[in-house]
Amino acid sequence: MSQEIKSGPVPDVAVADIERRKQEAGDPDYEVGLESLSQWQLAWRKFRKHNLALIGLGLLGALLLIAILGPILLPFSFSNVTRPDVIVSQGRGPSLAHPFGETGGLQRDVLTLVVNGARTSLFIGFSSMAIGVIIGTVVGAIAGFIGGFLDNFLMRIVDVMLSLPILFVILVFSKFFGQGSALIIVIIFGLFSWMGVSRLVRSLFLSIREREFVEAARAVGVTDRRIIFRHILPNALSPIIVAASLIIAGNIISEAFVSFLGFGVGPETPTWGNILSQARTFIPQGNWWWPFFSGSAIIITVLAVNFVGDGLRDAFDPRSRA
Amino acid sequence: MTETVNVPAPLGAPPVGDALLDVRNLKTHFHVLDGIVPAVDGVSFSLGAGQTLGIVGESGSGKSVTALTIMRLLDIPPAEIVEGEVWFDGREILSMPIDKMRRIRGNDIAMIFQEPLTSLNPVFTIGDQIAEQVELHKKVKRREAWDRAIESLRLVGIPLPERRVKQYPHEMSGGMRQRVMIAMALSCEPKLLIADEPTTALDVTIQAQILELLKTIQDRTDSALLLITHDLGVVAEMVDNVIVMYAGQIVEQGTANEVLLNPKAPYTMGLLESIPTVEKRGGRLSVITGTVPNPFNLPPACRFEPRCPYAWDLCRQVAPELAPVRGSDQLARCHLHTPAGDSRLPAALERHTSAMRLGQGHSDQ
Amino acid sequence: MTKYIVRRAIQAIPVLIGITIVVYAILLSAPGGPQAKFANNPRMTNDQKAAFMRAWGLDQPIPIQYCRWMGICNPDAEGLAIIGPTGWPNFLPEAISGSSNGLLHADFGFSITSGQSVGERIGQAALPTFILAFFALIIWIGSAILIGVYSAIKRYSWFDQISTIFSYIGFAMPTFWLGIMLIYIFGVSGILPVSGMVDIRNSPAFGNDAYWVYFGQHPVNAILDVAKHLILPVFTLVVVNIAGDSRFVRASMIDALSQDYVRTAKAKGLPGRSVTFKHALRNALLPVVTNIGLEIPFLFTGAIVTETIFSWPGIGKLTIDATTQFDYPVLMGVLLITSLIVVFANLFADVAYAVVDPRIKY
Repeated sequence: MSQEIKSGPVPDVAVADIERRKQEAGDPDYEVGLESLSQWQLAWRKFRKHNLALIGLGLLGALLLIAILGPILLPFSFSNVTRPDVIVSQGRGPSLAHPFGETGGLQRDVLTLVVNGARTSLFIGFSSMAIGVIIGTVVGAIAGFIGGFLDNFLMRIVDVMLSLPILFVILVFSKFFGQGSALIIVIIFGLFSWMGVSRLVRSLFLSIREREFVEAARAVGVTDRRIIFRHILPNALSPIIVAASLIIAGNIISEAFVSFLGFGVGPETPTWGNILSQARTFIPQGNWWWPFFSGSAIIITVLAVNFVGDGLRDAFDPRSRA
Repeated sequence: MTETVNVPAPLGAPPVGDALLDVRNLKTHFHVLDGIVPAVDGVSFSLGAGQTLGIVGESGSGKSVTALTIMRLLDIPPAEIVEGEVWFDGREILSMPIDKMRRIRGNDIAMIFQEPLTSLNPVFTIGDQIAEQVELHKKVKRREAWDRAIESLRLVGIPLPERRVKQYPHEMSGGMRQRVMIAMALSCEPKLLIADEPTTALDVTIQAQILELLKTIQDRTDSALLLITHDLGVVAEMVDNVIVMYAGQIVEQGTANEVLLNPKAPYTMGLLESIPTVEKRGGRLSVITGTVPNPFNLPPACRFEPRCPYAWDLCRQVAPELAPVRGSDQLARCHLHTPAGDSRLPAALERHTSAMRLGQGHSDQ
Repeated sequence: MTKYIVRRAIQAIPVLIGITIVVYAILLSAPGGPQAKFANNPRMTNDQKAAFMRAWGLDQPIPIQYCRWMGICNPDAEGLAIIGPTGWPNFLPEAISGSSNGLLHADFGFSITSGQSVGERIGQAALPTFILAFFALIIWIGSAILIGVYSAIKRYSWFDQISTIFSYIGFAMPTFWLGIMLIYIFGVSGILPVSGMVDIRNSPAFGNDAYWVYFGQHPVNAILDVAKHLILPVFTLVVVNIAGDSRFVRASMIDALSQDYVRTAKAKGLPGRSVTFKHALRNALLPVVTNIGLEIPFLFTGAIVTETIFSWPGIGKLTIDATTQFDYPVLMGVLLITSLIVVFANLFADVAYAVVDPRIKY
């Protein structure tokens, strides 16, 4: 039965408001008295409905666990080579002792390689994203908030950087400055991941800057810094999070590219990329399991990140239903 | 986007008499995530050549869905034509194969939509868009189709049609685009024109022009007009007969004069009472309290009962039928006009009359 | 229209200048510079190293090196000499200024590794990459549109579901991994060639004079040969792009199909084919055009790895080799050219959109 609503003139605004809150709560016979959900709770609700996104989240969690704990738990240590004096052209295929098979050459356990590689690859992916997001947010915030000549100048820089063929430049940088160190690779990648975020943040700041509540806050005497942190940034967080997930995926693949070509992390530290690079030379002799499982690890990780990213994008979209 | 029709073969025979359009007990339901929405729940009416029928109702009352069902423009997976027949020009069109229906669309029945700004394809010239319809239905060559397009633009009062015909939709204002839509609809000389809220998105002054245009054209071409609107003023000006819809059902049906001057259903009364007039100045604005019912949670009997100032127990137990009202040709769906409501009818009419005059309406319940 | 193009081109100039500065800065700030090759070589005396530096102009301060490299400064004069031998500013065409150095005269310098003119070296590598990119582009665009449109029309059908899975996986795949697996499947078993452009047992290496002689004598064989060698590299190069773009086309098509004008078209009685392919598709392809324009640069970056794996003698492979050998002039030339391609691809995307969409005012 529909709600008994008190008779008497009900102002249209109130009626509209009641209707809106009903929609938001998703329940048609909603009592007007309850609070509506916060933005984050609403987003979580929507996210939960995406099976793929949840799978992705689960996968990522599992991957992180494997990356952190794996090398400790696995029987074979990465650097410990069983028979350093024997070099074979073809390792043994997948077996019970070696579920991912053995490599050619030094006959290392592929599973161990992949798990160790996970650590570095994931580390690079996530940390470079963090650097990129921080730089991008700062640059975008400055450009959007201060505007004027500084804004123009910064955006020209973004244009130039976006016009450079990124992979080429990263290759060159990694070769020249990288010296095979994962940390430097992280910094280099971070330095090339910020452009998209900066544009995003800038447009957010531009649009919000003009809104009335900022003017009102200013009129009351709130300092600029407070405005940025308390009022603008919370709104900006959701698109940044979505962008961040894309950057992670992109950087993991980029790292694979760069390491594969030998320009990235050195052979002492395994990453999925340089594992594939070593595997490549043994392909003519067989050993398909070696690159297959290492590559699949990349695919699964990127898939998981993409699923989560899709779910996040939908969860934060104000137009999608809870 | 499958268009298979699951409607059984028509039971009835073609209508006798000169009814051009005969809708019988039409029911269209939508299957959505949360359940079934009975958007159109048993609607019947007929329309003769040259006549105008107005369908009035709020958003969600089912008036647009009725029109879309007649044109078979609904996507059948979420929508389902559960029951009913539509007879047009002697043939039943709901069970017709879709390619035959396509020959009727745009040719014998044409439709004008509510949003002129988005209803035209932005990447083709308007000449293109009108000509393709003429070419298709009248089997003429390109050259002649374009000439006809220019003629229809002239017919709807667009100045310099030879120039306009080569323009793109975004180069025109909303009012002009709606004229183009009308021109397009008329280009094949349809027998029935369905106009779904043709003026809602336009300025008031343009509204008047468009309505004037529709009337003129109707007089000239003798086509029937099915006019869907929520604006009672439009109804008063334009139509011969009126249907008032609420929550998917017809609650009142009759000539324009009868329904507007002597409303029989409480809903119609409420609509008319809420029109502010000069006499009511100073008093409280009257409204119909409450909101449209949730389609998944419709009232068990009369669907208007929760908001009806005249409701009593019977209204919560038995759903009223659409029945003729004593003493006139009107049909109304209300217990007040059945023997059960005899005792309450005079008081109700009295209240309505005073509310129309004084404007206190439902507010002092 | 021409005015619009010219205007956009002029807007691109500051970006181009910025690119030259950045490219130059990157390379010259690398540890050691070009002379790093010899830094630890015990057989080069200091005099020889100094002579090398002088010959390559590396003993000048960096702004002057940049200036000469651009072609604004006269290399034969000392300091910041903007005037050329004939007395006219140096950057003007050779006929007027008497000077032919630097970028503005299309002089990219000489390769440190081979001594060849950089322009020539890049030109040699350009044709193979162009062939690869051309066919890749056609297959990529064609497949993405076909798959995307069909998925949109038959939403939720088995085709749609399979292509969705394929898109997700394909998009998550590093191109070179696919290349490696393909090499394993087809190469090890000998079904398809996995290396180079031509079968070196039967024909000379691609591009050199002997090859063109051979081509003239056996054109059909030569074409078939290259075609066979093209199959795997092109496939590797485009799969990732098709995966991403087909989803984009699908989304764009679904959006177009839900628009009001599609309803109007149906209400006019147009047959389904016309509604879908004339009315909806035309609109759906608008953002796709821009998207493809913007993605063309990624074709080139993808080519780097593909060319490396399949030993395709193109610009990508050239970049890798030059980077490994610290061959700065070649590297700078390649970076510049690819940046130019990116800028023009963006320009093309903008112009194409303006041409195709009548709503855009220019």
